[in-house]
Amino acid sequence: MSSIGDIRDATGVAGRTYPPVTFQIDPERAAAFGRAIGADPAAGVPPTFAAVYSLGATAPQLFGDPDAAVDFARLLHAEQEFTWARQPRPGETVRSLGHVASDVSRRGMRFVSFETETTDGAGEPVCRSRALFVIRS
Amino acid sequence: MPVAGPVRDPVVSQRAVTFTKPQIAAYAEASGDHNPIHLDDHFAQTVGLPGVIAHGMLQMGLMATLAAEAAGGAERLRRLSCRFAGMVVPGDTVTFTAEPAGPGKLDLRAINQRGESVLTKSSAEFAPK
Repeated sequence: MSSIGDIRDATGVAGRTYPPVTFQIDPERAAAFGRAIGADPAAGVPPTFAAVYSLGATAPQLFGDPDAAVDFARLLHAEQEFTWARQPRPGETVRSLGHVASDVSRRGMRFVSFETETTDGAGEPVCRSRALFVIRS
Repeated sequence: MPVAGPVRDPVVSQRAVTFTKPQIAAYAEASGDHNPIHLDDHFAQTVGLPGVIAHGMLQMGLMATLAAEAAGGAERLRRLSCRFAGMVVPGDTVTFTAEPAGPGKLDLRAINQRGESVLTKSSAEFAPK
């Protein structure tokens, strides 16, 4: 079983996996999100609602991890990739697992690659999020 | 090489969006990202910004909306990526473009009114019909 602190190395919190987070996709919130990005709210859950149910559900674990010591005021979201097996349905409950793929500092900048795997109630894949955070020193 | 079917010109989808403070606030509310750099001009200025800036994920969301339309529906989208390369402030107009780049692939661009790319390295993949 993965838990906080089971993998440590010399480069920050690389390899660390956080406990799974469940998230129920509120249809009204997904619709409001769709309106904010110019999508038809009737077209289902907007793809980048993954910023909420996948990345958004797990990134606070990284940001709140004292060992990760992320200075939020110096944090930049530099790159983002989502891959989907399918789009989730309104009302569906999904489960996300956040993982620090790499944590490297060079030339006064720290680069944290944070990956989240989101699965459905049957354990089947829904979405994978890969975020690159840059923390200026 | 013989051409089996009709040759179609690539269909380029494009949309210009002028960002506003109410739109950024609506995205903050719906996404749950209430970082004050997106909501409070005074706070944003204390951290060296000109004022509030749009969420990178709002830019990516608008790009996703266009990409989903170009793909023939959101449920077909299988991958979307970008680099957040430039700041977007209220009043900026960003032109989002999705251009077919082979079967199931889109090249994506987001360029502001000064001709600067605000999202780079952006592309999408989608499942065929």
